[in-house]
Amino acid sequence: MVIDFDSFYNFPYEFDKIFSDVFNPHHQRRRKASYPPLNIVEDKNNIYVRAEVPGISIEDMEITITDKDLVLKGQRKLPEGRYFRQERPSGVFQRIVSINTTVDVAKVTASTKDGILNIVLPKSEASVPRKVGITVE
Amino acid sequence: MSTERNMEKFSPATDIVESEQGFYMYMDLPGVSKEALAIDLDENTLIVSGKAAVTPDTDEKYIDQEFCEGEYSRKFTIADVVDRENIKANHKNGVLELFLPKKAEVQPLKIQITNE
Repeated sequence: MVIDFDSFYNFPYEFDKIFSDVFNPHHQRRRKASYPPLNIVEDKNNIYVRAEVPGISIEDMEITITDKDLVLKGQRKLPEGRYFRQERPSGVFQRIVSINTTVDVAKVTASTKDGILNIVLPKSEASVPRKVGITVE
Repeated sequence: MSTERNMEKFSPATDIVESEQGFYMYMDLPGVSKEALAIDLDENTLIVSGKAAVTPDTDEKYIDQEFCEGEYSRKFTIADVVDRENIKANHKNGVLELFLPKKAEVQPLKIQITNE
């Protein structure tokens, strides 16, 4: 049998956990967040929507984009069997991101790497300030 | 992002499934590449640790943040029935799959009944 004794016997670990929960509100927020957790980042030319989607291949997800919203839908299936411990979330998920700027819908791309989904939404030329030259990557 | 936040430690969500041959462990490690992952077996303790990749520091600005880079680490105590020599690990899509086979002598044996 595989037993994780940490939560019962490892007092220093428990203490550390309480300590980090109190002094690290970020940790707390992470648990309550909707699934999957998203990071939305922007730079001059693009908006990036990143999601933590471990174990979900890009085929199991559906990404739809309109002028206003980005919808991420999918289902996470876990292997069948006799579970000793079940912590990973499973089931159907959906997240909607409203976009408050104009993006070039036709040029949106998405990729996954190591369980992180990265959606790149290029800002349409009208919303990029004129004086900024387009950077070459 | 400050270095302090980068050092944040998480305990990865883990599923453990038993089968006749052994135990399957599935661990969610989003953002951790195969190279950044370490699995150590120290007698009865299996330690899985990894660091989620830090995004290159560019002029990116966060609008909303619900997850961040960090270190994953978790300890498991392994029972004697596990065949330590043949533990297999597979990493795909941010999920680490470990197979811990049971030793041959503890696997259920089917006894044939003969008719004489």
